Amino acid sequence: MAEPATLILREQFRTPVQQRETATLGMWIFLATEVMLFGGLFLAFTVYRMYNPAAFIQGSADMNIMLGAINTAVLIGSSFTMALAVHSAETGDRKLLTAFLTSTMVLGAVFLAIKFTEYYLHYLDRRVPGPGFSFPGPEASRAEMFFVLYFIMTGLHALHMFIGEGILFSMILRNRAGSFTAEYHTPVELAGLYWHFVDVIWVFLFAIFYIEGLHLHGK
Amino acid sequence: MAEPTVSKRTYFFTFLSLLGLTLLTTLLGFLDIGSLNTAIALGLATVKACLIAAFFMHALHESRTVRVVMFAGVIWLLIMISLTVVDFMSRSW
Repeated sequence: MAEPATLILREQFRTPVQQRETATLGMWIFLATEVMLFGGLFLAFTVYRMYNPAAFIQGSADMNIMLGAINTAVLIGSSFTMALAVHSAETGDRKLLTAFLTSTMVLGAVFLAIKFTEYYLHYLDRRVPGPGFSFPGPEASRAEMFFVLYFIMTGLHALHMFIGEGILFSMILRNRAGSFTAEYHTPVELAGLYWHFVDVIWVFLFAIFYIEGLHLHGK
Repeated sequence: MAEPTVSKRTYFFTFLSLLGLTLLTTLLGFLDIGSLNTAIALGLATVKACLIAAFFMHALHESRTVRVVMFAGVIWLLIMISLTVVDFMSRSW
C-alpha cells in the first residue's frame, strides 16, 4: 500500500478526539433513524394486537419457543464477542480482534440459519400469509395479520443481520490490512454499535412474538 | 486510549445477566397471568435493552451530545406509540 493504512486524523478535524466524537454522533443519529424505521412496525403491531388480542396470542402460541430462545442466546453471545472485539481493538491486539470479529460473524450466521429453519417450518405448517395460509380455529384471518407482521419484522431484522455480517467482514479485511491501532479503531466501535442495536431490536421482537402465547403451549 | 472503555469483567457479567433475563422471560411466559404476561415480557426486554446500551454500546461513557440523540430516539418512539394507543383506545367513546 502506498498510503499509510492507518488513518489518524482527516484534515477537517482539529483533534483525533473530535474526529471520533463526530463519527460516533453520526452513528447514533443513524441508529435513531433506525428506531423510527422499526418503531413504525412496532406501532403497527401494537395497534393490530389491541384490536385482535385473541388471534395474536394464538399466533404467538404457534411459535417455536425452543428455537426462539436458543436464537436469542446466540445473538446475545454474538453481542458479547462483538464487545470483546471492541475491547481487543482498544488494547491494540490485532490477532484477538480478528478472532472475535470472526466469532461474531459465525454466531450471526448461526442465528440466521436457525431463523430460516423456523421460516421453513412455518412454510410446512402453511403459516405463510397468502392463498396457501391456514390456521386452526375461528381466528384464522386475524391470525394471518400476526404472521404478516411476524415475517415483515423478523425479515427486516434478518436483512439487518446480513448487512451486519458484511460490515464485520469488511472490518476483518481492514484489520488484516493493518488499518486499526489502539489509537484509531473508530470503525470497529461503530460496527459494534450497529451490531448491538440489531441485538436490541431482536430482544423486543422475541418479547412480542414468542412470549405472549407461551402459556397456551400444551393446551 | 490505552485504557479500554469497559472492562472484560463488566462485559462478561452483562452477558450473563442478559442470558439470565432471557431464561427468566421464557419461564415467566409459561405462567397464565393474563395481561401481566405482556407487561413482564416488555419490562424485562426493556431492562435487557438498557443493559446492552449501557455496557455493550458504551452509552454511559458517551458525551452529552450523543446522549441527547439517544434520548431523542427513544422519547419520540414513546410519544408516537403512547399517543397512538390513546387515540385508538378512546375511539369507541
